Amino acid sequence: MKKFNITYFISFVIIISLNFVLGSSNLFAQTKKAKARINVDYVKVMDGEHYLNIKASARINKKTVVVSDIELSILQEFNDEEIEIGTTSTDASGMGKFIINNFEDLQPDSLGVYDLIVSFAGNELFKKSSKDVSFRNADINVEWIVKDSINYVNAKLIDTQMDSAIAEMPLVVQVERLFRPLVIGEDSYETDENGEIEVAIDDDIPGIDGNLDLEVVLSESDDYGSIIAKLAAPIGTVIVEESTFDQRTMWSPRGKTPIFLLALTYSFVFIVWGIFIYLFFNLIRINKS
Amino acid sequence: MEESNKNARRKFLDKGLKLGFAAALGGIGITKVAQNLNAKPNHSSHEKMELMDTEGNIIEVDTTEVMEVTAKTDPDEKYNVREGIPNRKFVMVVDLAKCKNALACQSACNKHHYITGDNAWIKVYNMQESADTAPYWMPVTCQHCDEPACVTVCPVDATFKRRDGLVLIDNERCIGCRFCMAACPYSIRVFNWSEPDQGEIYVDMDMSHHTPTPEHAGKPSKMGTVDKCDFCPHAIKNNELPHCVTACPNGVFYFGDKYEDTVTNGDETLRLSKLLEDKAGYRYMEALGTQPSVYYLPPTDRLVDFKDGLENYKEYESVAKPE
Amino acid sequence: MKSREQFIQDLAPKKFTKAEKIWLGLLIIVIFAGFLAYVDQVRSGLKVTNLNDYALWGIYISNFVFFIATSFVGAATVAILRLTKNAWRTPLVRIAEIISLAAIIMAGVTIIIDLGRPDRALYTIIYARFQSPITWDVIIIPTYLVAIFFLLYFPLLPDLAILKEFYNKSNPRLSKWYGKLSLNWKGSTVQKALQQKSIKIIAVLVLPLGLILQTIDAWLFSSTYRIGWNSTNFGPYFISGAFVAGVGTLVVTIYMVRKVKGLEDYITDYHFDKLGKFLALACLIYLYFNANEYLMPAYASTVNEEVHLDTLFTGHYSTIFWFVTIGGLVVPVILLMFKKGRKPLAMFWIGILVVLASWWKRYIIVTPTLLHPYLPIQGVPESWRDYFPSLHEWLITGSNLATALLILTLLVRYLPVVAIQRTIDESELENNGQIGES
Repeated sequence: MKKFNITYFISFVIIISLNFVLGSSNLFAQTKKAKARINVDYVKVMDGEHYLNIKASARINKKTVVVSDIELSILQEFNDEEIEIGTTSTDASGMGKFIINNFEDLQPDSLGVYDLIVSFAGNELFKKSSKDVSFRNADINVEWIVKDSINYVNAKLIDTQMDSAIAEMPLVVQVERLFRPLVIGEDSYETDENGEIEVAIDDDIPGIDGNLDLEVVLSESDDYGSIIAKLAAPIGTVIVEESTFDQRTMWSPRGKTPIFLLALTYSFVFIVWGIFIYLFFNLIRINKS
Repeated sequence: MEESNKNARRKFLDKGLKLGFAAALGGIGITKVAQNLNAKPNHSSHEKMELMDTEGNIIEVDTTEVMEVTAKTDPDEKYNVREGIPNRKFVMVVDLAKCKNALACQSACNKHHYITGDNAWIKVYNMQESADTAPYWMPVTCQHCDEPACVTVCPVDATFKRRDGLVLIDNERCIGCRFCMAACPYSIRVFNWSEPDQGEIYVDMDMSHHTPTPEHAGKPSKMGTVDKCDFCPHAIKNNELPHCVTACPNGVFYFGDKYEDTVTNGDETLRLSKLLEDKAGYRYMEALGTQPSVYYLPPTDRLVDFKDGLENYKEYESVAKPE
Repeated sequence: MKSREQFIQDLAPKKFTKAEKIWLGLLIIVIFAGFLAYVDQVRSGLKVTNLNDYALWGIYISNFVFFIATSFVGAATVAILRLTKNAWRTPLVRIAEIISLAAIIMAGVTIIIDLGRPDRALYTIIYARFQSPITWDVIIIPTYLVAIFFLLYFPLLPDLAILKEFYNKSNPRLSKWYGKLSLNWKGSTVQKALQQKSIKIIAVLVLPLGLILQTIDAWLFSSTYRIGWNSTNFGPYFISGAFVAGVGTLVVTIYMVRKVKGLEDYITDYHFDKLGKFLALACLIYLYFNANEYLMPAYASTVNEEVHLDTLFTGHYSTIFWFVTIGGLVVPVILLMFKKGRKPLAMFWIGILVVLASWWKRYIIVTPTLLHPYLPIQGVPESWRDYFPSLHEWLITGSNLATALLILTLLVRYLPVVAIQRTIDESELENNGQIGES
């Protein structure tokens, strides 16, 4: 009996241990798929597009990698139904952009909130996942005014559904520049109880023909996403071209050689080679006579 | 009866399939036609527009199903490569207070320009003016001078100065006389002394339909010609910063348009004039009169210790060789 | 007193001796070796040299500058001595013109050898940028070449006619060639007038052309910012250097040709004496410009200039520098002050010294400056901090020299090295108690 028990006991222990070993080895199995994490930001451009900026990444071997070339579907959740409104995919750097083509077709819920879901069905490499994004529709209305010969930009942030001003939200005033926009004034201005800000624009910001492409931006707010309002204002200083490209200089291309050089070299060549031609004809004349 | 029913069914199926097939083809045709139109997506929905399907019939299609596709234009058509991007004057600001010889700029530049020789196009110098003054790290790229000595001496117009400030090289024109290299006081030009070993670059160029252009130096490099830093016009024209600027982990390089008075290192965006005033910017070897487009901010209030850069310092190497 | 026939007999070109044939064979071997080296260079690129991104110009450019300098001798002896009415130049001018011709041709060849893309050499004409000193070089070199050609050819016409007669029986084919090239020269009044007028014109024109050539060559260097090159002194510095190199080469060549062709009656100790003084003058003038170039900067120089002077006076290049300055200029001047130093054989060795020093002088001008740029040499292999020519470069240099000598040898073989007609005319004039110029 004891012997029997011991054998069984040992086998039992061995089996349990094996299970643990095999079980724990599951953690290191190559076949376990990582979860694709999706980040979504809603962006609205005033009088322009509404779109979602999507970024897909995953944590593999404790390192964050981008998840590229995956198909994503975008759905709107409305009345407990999920309606697909479109698809997009991520590019080589894991970024995707989905333009909401007919924003008016989307229905907000009774509180005025739009609920969208970005969903990934999963593939051989990654588990399926999804991300919700909810936002309310808001507008930023901008204009520029002159007060006491100082230029100001006025912006008003309004909740469209409730038609009310949104206070205490940070707005950034910036001018469009080549690679990154240049922030004007302070890093951000908080809207007052009327949802307004008024920012003085420096009078020495250069722009082509004096035109500035200004932007007032609400950046990544919890309730409203990001809103960009653009305003073209002729309140910049005129850019004067400094390039010598059109001038005749020593470093210009051959079509714009300085005149004195052209004159000098051409006259040198004509005179000297003219003499040579004369001498050549002398040779001919010697030959003939 | 059954026979005729069967026949009828068959006929129906037959017709149906054909019709369905035709409709499917027509649908595909329409979509393709629609994609080639420059129709704007219409937010005022349910407007219809007239299109022609593959069989030549005029049909009406909901505008929301029509997508705008921008035609592939050759970006070079927008400006002459030798004249440059209009209304720009590119400048770079190098903050010597932040440089710790990480050499990320050099590896990025070497990689994106397929540099395989022994001399990199951007080098971080171990500088010390005199025994009493402190040493510092100084990255030097081509200065894209406004009065470039190299351009002045080129006998065949192979190197040229553009309206947007860039000095580029046309390696289809260069005769390899190296006069430009003799003239450059910053020693930034390199010569292809042998056939450049750029690996699969010709295959890569084929696959991406890349035509060699002075706007992407090193793609490919030619034996017997001169190369140098180009300020990455191939990136700039796509609104991306030059590779050294994005690669630097310490934000040393600022790049931008002098006319816009704005430079950025990817994170900070500042007014150029203010930056130069606040941090006493200067240009290297100003007294020579070359009018460089690169400004340096002196290494005061340093964020890093010079010695930290020494472990990365390779006095005799600037291009990593494959093992 | 020699008769006309005697003059012709002495001065007419003779067939190659065995020694000369061996000489030709050696030249051809050296040329061929250099040609092979060049083919390798075209295929593999300039990496066959020891050049690098810092020492970006080496002895190919030294050779180029040397040949340009040597080609000045035609302008120097013919024009300068003519203007100063030095009649002793007569037996020397033809050799001087031949040397000039060979040198200017080789200068053109040498510079193409230095190009990274010789297949695009014509771009310097098609896409020429007039702002570039290289373009000015591309203009002046063919111009000077044509000038030297005319300088050689016009006085040659009567001699060619003489030689046509001379070889009429012994070598009819050669005679026919001389005839063709002599352009029906009969010595008629019309022809003589045309010839004399042309010689006057070209002899005057060749001097400013020669000066311009040397100056543009100098400006290839002084149009850069480099320390040691960016000197206002370079124009006259190079002109006087060309003077030295040219006259030195002339001395050596005159001695060899005189010996080989047995022209002791025509090129006498008197000529060597005069030539020696001429060479001494050239060396003194060049020493003056050297003093301006090196001594004055030593007095008040920037840090960069000091680096340059240190490397020449006491540093890496000091041996070559002092050899070139003392050995190549001071020693010849001292030796040439003595009558014994102006004897033919002594002159020959002094000439060799001067020519050797001239070549190494151009090395001193080109290389040290390139190896101390404004920014320190970092990030490149250690071997890049120095430059010494590779085997390919030496072979090609030797081949260039051999080609110049080959051109010289061939021209001296077929052309009378001392102007026959002029010699006859002058001796007649002397006999008639008149000293004129022709």
